[in-house]
Amino acid sequence: MSVSGLPEGDVVTGSFMQAASASSQWILRIEPGFSSQDPVILDIDVKGSSSILHLSLDVGRLSELELITRVRGSGKWFGLLRTGEIGAGAVLNDVVVCLQDEGTLLRVDSIAIGRDAQVRAGTVSSGSERTKADLRYRMGEPGGNLRVLGSILSVDSMHIDHHVEIHHDAPETFSRLTWNSACGGDSRTVGTGMLRVADGSRGADAAQIFHNLLLSADAEADSIPELEVREHEVVGCGHGTANGPIDEDQVFYLESRGFDPSEAKSTLIAAFLNSTLSEMGSDSLHDWLVGLLNSELRTPDA
Amino acid sequence: MEHGESDIEALLEIRNLHAGIGDTQILKGIDLSIAPGEIHAIMGRNGSGKTTAANIIMGHPDFEVEEGEVLLSGENLLELEPWERAREGVFLSFQYPQAVPGLQVGNFLRKSVASIRGKEAAKGADFRGELNEAMDTLDIPRSFLSRYVNDGFSGGEKKRFEILQLLLLKPKLAILDETDSGLDIDGIKTVAAGINAAVRGTDSAALIITHYSRILEHVQPDKIHVLIGGQIVATGGPELAMQLEERGYEWLDPKAEAEGIA
Repeated sequence: MSVSGLPEGDVVTGSFMQAASASSQWILRIEPGFSSQDPVILDIDVKGSSSILHLSLDVGRLSELELITRVRGSGKWFGLLRTGEIGAGAVLNDVVVCLQDEGTLLRVDSIAIGRDAQVRAGTVSSGSERTKADLRYRMGEPGGNLRVLGSILSVDSMHIDHHVEIHHDAPETFSRLTWNSACGGDSRTVGTGMLRVADGSRGADAAQIFHNLLLSADAEADSIPELEVREHEVVGCGHGTANGPIDEDQVFYLESRGFDPSEAKSTLIAAFLNSTLSEMGSDSLHDWLVGLLNSELRTPDA
Repeated sequence: MEHGESDIEALLEIRNLHAGIGDTQILKGIDLSIAPGEIHAIMGRNGSGKTTAANIIMGHPDFEVEEGEVLLSGENLLELEPWERAREGVFLSFQYPQAVPGLQVGNFLRKSVASIRGKEAAKGADFRGELNEAMDTLDIPRSFLSRYVNDGFSGGEKKRFEILQLLLLKPKLAILDETDSGLDIDGIKTVAAGINAAVRGTDSAALIITHYSRILEHVQPDKIHVLIGGQIVATGGPELAMQLEERGYEWLDPKAEAEGIA
């Protein structure tokens, strides 16, 4: 099997991909020049003890669309592999919403971004007890533009781990990663950001930032930004991380406006996650995502 | 202020208030009474206890009340949590309002109005009409509603947004903590128009905390109190603001007087 976008020699991910594609592969092909105001929605209802899906994206050149992949259901174990090639000049809003009721989610994305293509890749994740995601984006042609966004809500005893790898392998490529995780109960989140700028990628411009909101004394959030820059003539390459509890001054401000302590807390968590959600897509998608996260916030004991 | 001046009709009644933060006593026996429909001002230098007084009335958890009472329409505010005080009709316009990235102004206003005035007040055409009218009064564009609360706002925008909340929440008592600082003269006039609209001709009252007399030219206060060293050292009418403008605070400072420098 050959899948573009994946670094050579990645045995673990490659093995998973082979296993996944052997059992179930779906191809979503977007014709060149296709354009739609309405989002393409893929609903994945996870059932049973274990299941796996390989979704292959073939997004034609100069096409424009919003793709929403929703993972719901009560399966015990689900493996989602998404591979894809984004054609030259395409504009893609690619949002993956992972809200399984329980169980384990293993997700691997391997996306190759074509010349002058613009990709906004959003992840909304909560629900499953364990999530391990390995998201890789490669810009191998000049002019690629990538915005990676995460809104993670981890509660109870969840363990949510995302590794995001962004490869600048061509000149004049641009990427920004903003990852917001709200972590409560005795849950744990891990966010690893690997930024690789290859020799010859002149004019590359890359930055990543992780924000972690700690909602309880037992919650744990780790952010591990990593940089590997082999090109001197870059616009910038930076990373940062910030951890902290809910700001008591913000709580007092909301309480002074009549919010009770519980409303103030859930409003501030939603606002924190909304900072990244609001950039993920259209207004209708945003409203829907906010509604989803608000219902998640109402149920668990954060 | 004499104790005898207070009566049961007072909207806000502060009696012998001693309060501070940690081991530092800041307010050393404040008495104040504001009737419905009145606007009072507290003037004083930096560090005199003005913001502490505002925070204590609103219920900021960092401040401790050692002695005294704060009553709103006869009810002891000190027994209530901040959000309960807000629902009882206390509003504080903050000197430095908090930014809440990710929380849209429109949603925040709707939730605040629902919390304080009830869910029905935050629904439908009536609410939208009220909102539009208040925004017009304060010269705030509609695009403001989709911005995040105080996030990236200029100083003037923050102050106007506080007054927008005042107009929509319709509190019984509005405390305005240095709402005029950092505003140019047009901004002061706009904010003053908002305060007048919220209080004049209503049963509400306002307590304006300020360093300067400029805003008081546009919001004629019924009484001015001078706070020095955690105590009210003088109370008078609007003419007191002019005297302070001309003479400063030293002539009223008991400490300076004792040292013979007043």
